[in-house]
Amino acid sequence: MKPRVAIFDFASCEGCELQIVNLEEKLLDLIDIVDVVSFREAMKEHSNDYDIALIEGSIMRPMDEERIKKIRERAKVLIAIGACACLGGVNKLRNEWPVEEVKKEVYGDAPLEGNKFFDVFPTKAVDEVVKVDFYIPGCPIDRNEFAKVITAVALGRKPRLPTYPVCVECKKRENICVFELGQFCLGPITRAGCNAICPSFQDGCEGCRGFLDDAKMDAQKDVLRKYGVTVDQMMKKFNFYNYRKGVL
Amino acid sequence: MASDLNVTVKHLTRVEGHGNIYFNAKAGKVEKVLWEVDEAPRFFEAMVRGKSYSYLSHITSRICGICSIGHSLASLKATEAAMGVRISEQTELLRRLALHGENLQSHSLHVGYLAAPDLFGAPSVVPMVKTHLDAVGKIVAVHRLANRLSDVTCGRTTHPITLTVGGFTKVPSEEDLLSAKKECEKNIEVTRSLAKDILSVKDKIPDFWRETEFIALVNDKHYAFYDGKIGSTDGGTYPVSDYLKVTNEYFAPQSTAKYAKHKRASYMASALSRLNLNYEQLTDGAKEVAEMFGLKPVCHNPYMNTIAQLVEIMHSLEDSIDLVDKVIGMGLEEEEFEVEVRPGRGVGAVEVPRGILFHDYTIDEVGNCVKANCIIPTNQNHGNIQQDMEAMAPKLVNMPEKDIELRLEMLVRAYDPCISCSTHYLKVNFI
Amino acid sequence: MKALSKLEWLKFVDRLVNDSGMDIIGVKAKGESFVFDRLKSADELRLDHDVTILPPKKVFLPVTEDLISYDLKGQVRGERTVDDKKRVLIGVHPYDVIAIEQMDEVYLGNNIDEHYASRRLNTLIIASDIINVSERSFAASLGTHVTDSGYDLLVTDIGDTVVVDVGSKEGRALLKKYGKARDASKKEVDTVKCWRSDLPTWFARRAKLPPSEWKRVLDENHDHPVWDENSKKCLTCGTCTTVCPTCYCYDVDDRTDLNLKEGKRQRTWDGCLLRDFTLVGSGEIFRDGVKERYRHRFYRKGAYFPDRKGFVACVGCGRCAYQCLPDIADPSEVINSIASYNLHKKEEHPVPPVEHPEIREDLLIPEPATIIRKQKMTDLETLYVVRLDSGKELGHAPGQFVQVSLYGIGEAPISISSAPLGKEFELLVRRVGDVTGAMEKLKEGDKIGVRGPYGRGFDPKEMQGKDMLFISGGCGLAPMRSLIDYTIGHRKDFKDVWILYGCKEPAAILFSKDLKQWADVENVKVLTTVDKCPDGQCWDGNIGVITTLIPKVAFDPKTTIAVIVGPPIMYKFVIRDLKSRGMPDENIIVSLERRMKCGVGKCGHCQMNGIYCCIEGPVFKYSEVKNIPEAF
Repeated sequence: MKPRVAIFDFASCEGCELQIVNLEEKLLDLIDIVDVVSFREAMKEHSNDYDIALIEGSIMRPMDEERIKKIRERAKVLIAIGACACLGGVNKLRNEWPVEEVKKEVYGDAPLEGNKFFDVFPTKAVDEVVKVDFYIPGCPIDRNEFAKVITAVALGRKPRLPTYPVCVECKKRENICVFELGQFCLGPITRAGCNAICPSFQDGCEGCRGFLDDAKMDAQKDVLRKYGVTVDQMMKKFNFYNYRKGVL
Repeated sequence: MASDLNVTVKHLTRVEGHGNIYFNAKAGKVEKVLWEVDEAPRFFEAMVRGKSYSYLSHITSRICGICSIGHSLASLKATEAAMGVRISEQTELLRRLALHGENLQSHSLHVGYLAAPDLFGAPSVVPMVKTHLDAVGKIVAVHRLANRLSDVTCGRTTHPITLTVGGFTKVPSEEDLLSAKKECEKNIEVTRSLAKDILSVKDKIPDFWRETEFIALVNDKHYAFYDGKIGSTDGGTYPVSDYLKVTNEYFAPQSTAKYAKHKRASYMASALSRLNLNYEQLTDGAKEVAEMFGLKPVCHNPYMNTIAQLVEIMHSLEDSIDLVDKVIGMGLEEEEFEVEVRPGRGVGAVEVPRGILFHDYTIDEVGNCVKANCIIPTNQNHGNIQQDMEAMAPKLVNMPEKDIELRLEMLVRAYDPCISCSTHYLKVNFI
Repeated sequence: MKALSKLEWLKFVDRLVNDSGMDIIGVKAKGESFVFDRLKSADELRLDHDVTILPPKKVFLPVTEDLISYDLKGQVRGERTVDDKKRVLIGVHPYDVIAIEQMDEVYLGNNIDEHYASRRLNTLIIASDIINVSERSFAASLGTHVTDSGYDLLVTDIGDTVVVDVGSKEGRALLKKYGKARDASKKEVDTVKCWRSDLPTWFARRAKLPPSEWKRVLDENHDHPVWDENSKKCLTCGTCTTVCPTCYCYDVDDRTDLNLKEGKRQRTWDGCLLRDFTLVGSGEIFRDGVKERYRHRFYRKGAYFPDRKGFVACVGCGRCAYQCLPDIADPSEVINSIASYNLHKKEEHPVPPVEHPEIREDLLIPEPATIIRKQKMTDLETLYVVRLDSGKELGHAPGQFVQVSLYGIGEAPISISSAPLGKEFELLVRRVGDVTGAMEKLKEGDKIGVRGPYGRGFDPKEMQGKDMLFISGGCGLAPMRSLIDYTIGHRKDFKDVWILYGCKEPAAILFSKDLKQWADVENVKVLTTVDKCPDGQCWDGNIGVITTLIPKVAFDPKTTIAVIVGPPIMYKFVIRDLKSRGMPDENIIVSLERRMKCGVGKCGHCQMNGIYCCIEGPVFKYSEVKNIPEAF
């Protein structure tokens, strides 16, 4: 029996789901090895009977929490895809300010009281609400990594993400280190698996895949200081995707 | 036929983002027709505050996964306008090419995966793999080319890497541009053939007509995507910096909505708007596709937006080929550019696949953003969708529920809404 | 020596590029730096480069390389994928030539790697003298700034002439076919000589100690403060090992296509600075600390390689030095900072001799084998009886291991549990990860892949005439069983035999039938113990850790050989108790588990300081490893 897969999105840009669609011909392979029973963005068909749930997006409101809890109950395996689901991503930037201030900045004096669509709390990653079995990080996710994780789950292997920094992949691609180009980069403390795509285009890593569990934060701060990066600049880059994990 | 009709569509499928449709009729009389959006608000305009100009576009590209290149470019243009940064011709040509890549990607996704199933009577593209494998193959081919074009110009399709204030972090190589051009050339015939496939089910496109205003960028030199003035089918052009006079966002007393309106109660921003305003500047191949479907300005049938997108697929292919020739002919160079930080306020407008997009930033003396405003095409369309539904409603009461549902779903899908982009929440109420 | 005018040299290169049909890989500019890459024309070649980002090792051991392509539909098959394209490498500096020769020692010495061999044999090397010295290179102080071997041609650009030293007959033939060379004049030859002898003055950096002294200095400074100070700044980013011309460790993974039908077993560069380099299925990491990993790299270069092969595995190219962001990777700086420091304590690193000179083809491709019988022993452990499909005997010694392969999943090292008797052999497998988990789902009659036997096993001849004390913990009994069965099968060769076995709890006991049968053999005593007996399990024997059994055995320490196999924690305590009874070091034999991937001394994961556990082990005499810091 082919595993039944359902794809859901919460507060997100749907860019990660787009990467699944962007598998092009491999998409046909995917729907051959699993049954996609629900994928609101691309399909009208829907079923509440699924084994594997893929979640994109962050949790912002009580109604989102209810929805993700229901999904967790139905699914045997829950996989968070993309930075918003895995870490909170860009959505967590607003946690810097109180919710009321943020609402006022965007909606001014609009009457939002009692409206459940606007009942937001500080952004949460999916694992701050329910248990997540596997993560596919990135902003957006890397198509090849997605294929690797799904293949592993289908073959009964445990999907393993790299536990080493982006530098490993960057050096293997023989890139010139972006520090030499006058930029700074979070590659040494960020999880690899994206094949160092941003530094390969001469843009420093922003840490969208999340910092490593054993990231060498002090050593990284030393290096940044050596290259003249100010504390303010450091904080902003560290907190872009890894909110509060780079606290100085 | 006096009957009670009840249509509720929660979380409409095959659109980007979350929206609901409600339709109630009692004894043949319409009681409620409603387009409601319950997408989580994203608060981007709050989040960019205090952030350096150098990565504003990285944040705002995350507004939408499908139009990330468009958001990036609007963001960059707003920043460059605010700080007085000029870009080279090479940069402009490459940015236009990047925008074509996005246009192709989004349109082929919408036409092929989101809208076509309705025309072919399928719930999604998945069963079409068995029943119409040939047509699906063409869509995949165009989609693949689109991704390749984005990869070459921006580093990747979603959330571009190389686009930055003042230019590119890395200029694509001649080799890569030429190979992308070759792919474009191959896909011209593929698109023509796909158009014929869609022509065969043309009768499934509802014949609905409601006069409304169309807003899009216009430009003397070419079919406007990247740059231009704001144009309207009701006459007049406006500089982009005056966008607020056109969008006129305001609250309607009976709802929490922000409507956009200009000369009429609502207007439409879309591929159809662009076609209606820029038709003469379409490439020859694109005009041929338009003629196949009898599509010409000014068309007031929103369902024909899908066909306008098909026309633009051909246009983007042919224009991309021209752009590659032009930029290589100039001699590709890695540019060294310095960006001088200056305070100011600037507006950037760009046509993303779904219509005209505005970013408006105020930058301070150290280069941080202090205020932002973003107006998304879908935002501007909610009012028009509601007006269309209301105009359509009296005729719908003569149809069975299943057909009403499909007709209303197809209407919203035809607008190709990008609901999660809506940084302004919309709840449209009509009783 | 030969010479070409500059113009002729460029024509020679252009002819190679356009007419030879071979891949011509030369040094080109990349931004402000240089790389080895395919040349499209001679004017891309930069003989004046100082150093490339990555060394030319990437041509012989690619960053990622397909080893085997397999298909999963129906019968599981695999096919070797060997690259035999013809290539010419141009612009290899002398230090890189020497580094390639060092790699040859490993990849073409013991257990020849045919993927590497094929690329090596099909590539011609045109070396070039250094024109511009890289800021951080200290090659001159190691004598690697010039060389007179290891190349097919060596060119020196002296301005409007390129002088060519022919290094092999293939080089001579290449020059003749594509170039128009004349004999070099005496003046030209002298210019080259002068250039080479002046070259050291251009090096800004040097190692203060000659390579012959590195081992001694490192041996004496195992606890020098530099390891602590530097490792605090280390990002463990893997840059140093990636850019090093003498590093070549790799990891292997099965990459299956999304259609679940085909895939490739690939190897890709790995590095000992990365945390999970020594991670095994059970979750243990054998070299966990950043300081230990940081230090290991320098010891490998400066102490272990001189032991094994007689040379320092560093050629002073300076790549690690200039590319390390915190700048702590420079071997010359590390050596210089400890060269002046002299601790009185001397560390001994005795290394057992290497005794596997046989050459193996098909080094990495598994042989098909069938599961004849399968018997579940405990919740986690299953015993498999396996036979090679070819009908051959495995031919193993007790204590050796095999690599079990399942395409699409991977490989796992499993000790052989049976004595070498006949065509069948037994594997006791504990479910800890992907491969062992997938094996559990297989049935009798299903196929697996087998590579081996590998490793140094027990040497029963050395134990003849002795009393035997077998001490096993947990699934350490699995490899021990093959030795015990051998001993019992040759009962007359041994005197008294004691078998001590300890387990976590009664439900985890393995081979209970065997334990009973052994106890019935003449003059064989079996003692078992469990750490604890949880509710619901029956046990009327000893309760306590394995060391509680040792006092119950009256053995003569001088005439008894003790063999110990068990979880890492066990060894220290058992050895301590045996030694307190007066047992000499040479009488204690251990089998040490590490992360095994290739099984043939290439991928580097099983290193225990300077020892490769898959080649010099897993069986060791205690006297051989007692001073190896990473052993226990």
